[in-house]
Formats: sequence, structure tokens, C-alpha cells
Amino acid sequence: MSEPATPLLEIKDLHTRFHTLDGTVNAVDGVDFDVYQGETLGLVGESGCGKSVTALSILQLLRCPPAEIQGRILFEGNNLLDLDREGIRKIRGNEISMIFQEPMTSLNPVLRIGEQIAEAAKIHKRMTRQEAWRWAVEMLRMVQIPGPGSRSKQYPHKFSGGMRQRAMIAMALSCNPRLILADEPSTALDVTIQAQIMSLMQKLKEEFNSAIVLITHDLGIIAEMVSRVVVMYAGKVVEEAPVKELFKDPRHPYTQGLLGSIPVIGRKEQTGRRLQEIPGIVPSPMETPLGCRFHPRCHKVMNRCQEQEPPMIHLAEHRRVSCLLEA
Amino acid sequence: MLAFITRRLLLLIFVLFGVSVLLFGILMTFSPERRAATYVTSPQQAKDIPKIIKQFGLDDPFYIQYFRWMKEVLKGNMGWSLVASRPVGEAFWNYFPVTLEMNLFAAPIVIIFGIWLGTLSGIHRDTWIDHTTRILAIVGWSLPTFLFALVLLMIFYGYFQLFSPGVLSDQLTMFIIDNPETFTRFTGMYTIDGILNGRFDITLNALAHLVLPVSTYVIVVVALNMRVMRSGMIEELSKDYVMTAQAKGADKKTIYIKHARRNALLPVVTVAGQLVALSMEGSIAVEVVYNRHGIGWWLAESAVQLDMPVLMCICLFMGVVFVITNLTLDILYAYIDPRIRLN
Repeated sequence: MSEPATPLLEIKDLHTRFHTLDGTVNAVDGVDFDVYQGETLGLVGESGCGKSVTALSILQLLRCPPAEIQGRILFEGNNLLDLDREGIRKIRGNEISMIFQEPMTSLNPVLRIGEQIAEAAKIHKRMTRQEAWRWAVEMLRMVQIPGPGSRSKQYPHKFSGGMRQRAMIAMALSCNPRLILADEPSTALDVTIQAQIMSLMQKLKEEFNSAIVLITHDLGIIAEMVSRVVVMYAGKVVEEAPVKELFKDPRHPYTQGLLGSIPVIGRKEQTGRRLQEIPGIVPSPMETPLGCRFHPRCHKVMNRCQEQEPPMIHLAEHRRVSCLLEA
Repeated sequence: MLAFITRRLLLLIFVLFGVSVLLFGILMTFSPERRAATYVTSPQQAKDIPKIIKQFGLDDPFYIQYFRWMKEVLKGNMGWSLVASRPVGEAFWNYFPVTLEMNLFAAPIVIIFGIWLGTLSGIHRDTWIDHTTRILAIVGWSLPTFLFALVLLMIFYGYFQLFSPGVLSDQLTMFIIDNPETFTRFTGMYTIDGILNGRFDITLNALAHLVLPVSTYVIVVVALNMRVMRSGMIEELSKDYVMTAQAKGADKKTIYIKHARRNALLPVVTVAGQLVALSMEGSIAVEVVYNRHGIGWWLAESAVQLDMPVLMCICLFMGVVFVITNLTLDILYAYIDPRIRLN
């Protein structure tokens, strides 16, 4: 796959802090990665490691408590963090759109589905009411909702979870965005629907030639959907690799742990255990451990891991790892 | 829809039956002598009390007295009001327009102001706007109505000679009584009758008399409406669909008005409906302090003088008001919230 030289989205040294009554929370602490035109990038990690906050920081959708975002988020060369409120509003839903995790609560219960899909087109493409509505019906057809004409007039409570997520996808795609941030789009759905939603996203992505940042903790989806993976832990990037290399040769002990916790039929015969879990939980962003943040849970921990923060080691293009084992 | 309304109106019969039995029972706890005494106007007549008890059957068993009363009510005879010195039914239509008139002005202000202030407060949560409206609301809500009414009356009438109590100035009242042929009382509400008769001075005078009672009522009651709206707004603004709307690029106004407020209005409809229903009994304190002879004033006087037919009549009336209000609210709900369907 030949990628264009300049990335669509460049995130450089992103820090997102929340100032709460209990102190400052460093939810995202120096993250950088690139997204190229038309690719699907996977953002992986356990719950609470800063994946969602990274995505919300890109569109500045963090509301409460007040977040402080530092660093640079270059979208087609322009720093989104330099934009004023009106400037970022014109990007949202138009150039960069978002698909959320909870389709059940992400739609307004008192507005018709068609109205909610048409809204973005009305805002950004200056369509009239009728045009936007026709466009919404067209979008519903594209996300394979049967009877889109009559369905568009219904309210969200008449839609099942899978259908609502389709409607959310229709909403996200309605202005033909360059980049889609999909924050665990299938986590709340059951497995068969998950597969449908994922293949639908894949298909539409190619049709619209958009790039996707797919946030998930489901490595099965990663293996199927994405070309490149960024692994995050406790607000930092710990490893980046093309998807095949990541599965074949994970370098960071955390990535190894994540891959080990996928159930594989027949592993018990090989290793004597069904699942290889990572002991412990993600540290609270308010009390991150000194040195390597993963060291309390790492099975390859060394003495210096407790004092020295591991540098980012670039092994090849789009292949980097932050671990003292590699240093 | 029609079936739903019919069913609810059938329910009204049971509500009225229940209300009447309950109140009748309470009034029966007064001894027959005490009830007969209300017919006695001078000390000389006191010896007639046993005769009155016998004549009206005041010592009959409860159910016999109740059914005797019910038979008359079904015939359309609500009894005689001592306070009004006329039949209860006739007196009711005399007092009711006064109360209704005040509500026609107060209710829209309470609802619109409550929604507006609550929205403002919820959007600007924890800013000076929020604090100011909340403090004003708390003050209004916690002051006793009669005290607040008296303070306003003292300031505006007592000190500035503005906004006198009553419904209409004495001069104009005398004019209306003396000239029944030139001034027709279509509705019993002077603001409206004044316009219908082409006497705008009467309308203006009636409006001036409404300023203080309406202000008092609004300030005391608006707080509840406002607080429900405020908390609704705050809750809705924290919901996921608001972030979806933001991610679509909707501006603040669209998010507040189109997305959050429609959802936040649902609980307000309930509260506002109940407030309006409650105010049909004429906010007793307001009517007594400002000397407006409406349902509330009548109720207060009748309670003091044990004017039983009036108490029964007003309670039945309130039963009707509440059932109809709830019916209206349910229909309104189905209209605002697509998740609710009647039947």
C-alpha cells in the first residue's frame, strides 16, 4: 500500500489535562501519531487508557470538567487547536465526523431520524429542508436500512440498536468527511450485528474515500479492519506497527499481553492455560507510576523500569515501541 | 384518542363521588347543633336549633343525609350560600370569572417566565445569571404569599397610591350597577367586557387592579416551574445526544433550543399543569389580601362561616379541574414526546 507523503491528520505531542477538585488528571500525556488519506488506523488499549479522550480532543468535544488541550493537531496542515469556536464547528461533522459507542443514547429521542441525519447537511452544505431530508433518506438507503423513506420519519425508539448505529453512521458520513473517528462503534452491539456494522463501515469508507480512526479494545476487529495499529497505555503510545507485524511480532510486553488475552482454540494444549491475562488494572491517571507506566503489571520488568521512563524507539517506518527492553 | 378521552371522563364520575363522600364525611363530624347554628342569625333564635335540626334532618344517618344532598345536586340544585346570600350555582358563576380573569393573565406569565428563566439558568449554570435567578426564585417561593401580597400592597397602594385593591374602582362599579342596559356583562371579566362594550377605560382600570395580584402570584409560583426547567436543562445538556449534535457541528443555539429544551420541557409540562390547576381555586391569600371576590375569597369566607353547600361545590369544582388538567397533560405529553402513545 503506497501512502501519500503528507498525512491527513498529524497529532504531535498531545496532552489533555482535566483540572478536577481532586487534582489534575493527565488523561492523554504526550501522544503522537499520523493518519493518512483513506487508511484505517486502529487505536487500541484497555478502558481508561486515553483512547476516547484522544478522539474527543481532536474535535474539542470535551466539556466537563474543563479540559486543557496542548500540543498540535494538524488536519491537512492546519492546527485545529488554533481554531476558534466557530472554526472548529465548521470542521465538526463536515471534515471530521464522529461515531459514538452508545447508539441507544446518542440519538435525540424527540427528533425524527431523518431530521437528525439531515441536520449536518443543513448546517454545512447549506441545503434546504427538503433537499437535506431527501439526502438523509439517501444516506439511510446507503447504510442498508430497509424502507428508508418511511423509516426516516420515525423516532429513534422505533429503531433497534444495530439500526441506530447504522443511522449514526449515516449521520457521520452525510457530509462526506475526510476523517471519521469511530469510538468503539460496535461495542454496544451483539456479535452478529457487530460484524454487519464493521463490514458496512469498511465498504462505505472505500466508497467515500474517508480515513477512519477506529478506537476499540477488540483485537478481532483490529485484525479484520485496520492497516496500522497504535497501542496506547495510560495516556501514552507504547507501540505502533502495521497490523500484520503487530500480530506476528508484538514488541511491547503490554501488546503481548493484549494479544495473549484473546481466546484461541487449542492454546491450552500448547501453554497449559486458556487465557493469558494481564494482572492488575490501568493505573489512575492521577497517580501514574514512576518510570515505565506499565512496570507494575509487566512480566518482564527490570530494575531500571522503575526509575527510567522508556524512550520511543523507531524500528522502521511506522514501527516504533516504547520499552527499555529494546533500548 | 376518543376512547381515551371518554375513559378519562368516565373516571371523573368516580373522582367526584369520592371527593364528595370524603368531604361530606368530614363535615358530618360537626355536631348537628353546630351545623344548625349556621342558620341562626340572632341570639333569640337559638331556641329554634332543635327545630332546625328536625326540619332539615341534620341528625339523620350519614348516608341518608348524603343521598338527600346528592338527589338535589343531580337536579341541579347546589343549595343556598349564606356568604353570597344567593343560590350556590348562581353565586359560583358570579365569583368564577374573577378568578379565571386573574389566571388568564398569571398562567401564561408563570409558564413562559418559568421556562425562559429556567433555560437561561440551566445554560449559564453557576454564573451570576444562574445565581441571581435562583436567589430571586428562592425568595419568592419561601415568602408566605399573604406576607408578600401585603408588602406589595403597602408599597404600591399605601405609599405610592397606585394599584388599589379590588376588581374595579368604586366609581366604575357603581356605573355598571346603575346602567345594566349600556354595559352588558358578557363574561363577567371586566378586562374583556370593557373591550366588548367599547369601554376601554373599564378595561384599563380592571388591568390596573390586576397588576399586583398577578405579580404576587407569578413571583410566588414561578420558582417551582423555573427550577424544574433548570434541572431539566442541566440534565439534558449532559446527555450523549447533545455531544452527537455538537459533533455534527450544530451551534449552541441549535443545541440548546432544538435538542435540549424539547426534552427538558417534559417535566415542566407536568408542573405547569398542576400549577394552573391549583390556581383555579384562586390563590386564597391573593384574593383575600387584594379583596378580589373570586373563588378563593369565597372559599375562605365559607370555611369560616361553615357554609357547607359552598365547600362541597368548590371541592367538586376542583375535582373537575384536576381531572381535566391531567387529561389535557396526557394528551399534551403524547404530542411532545413521541415515545408516549395514548391507549
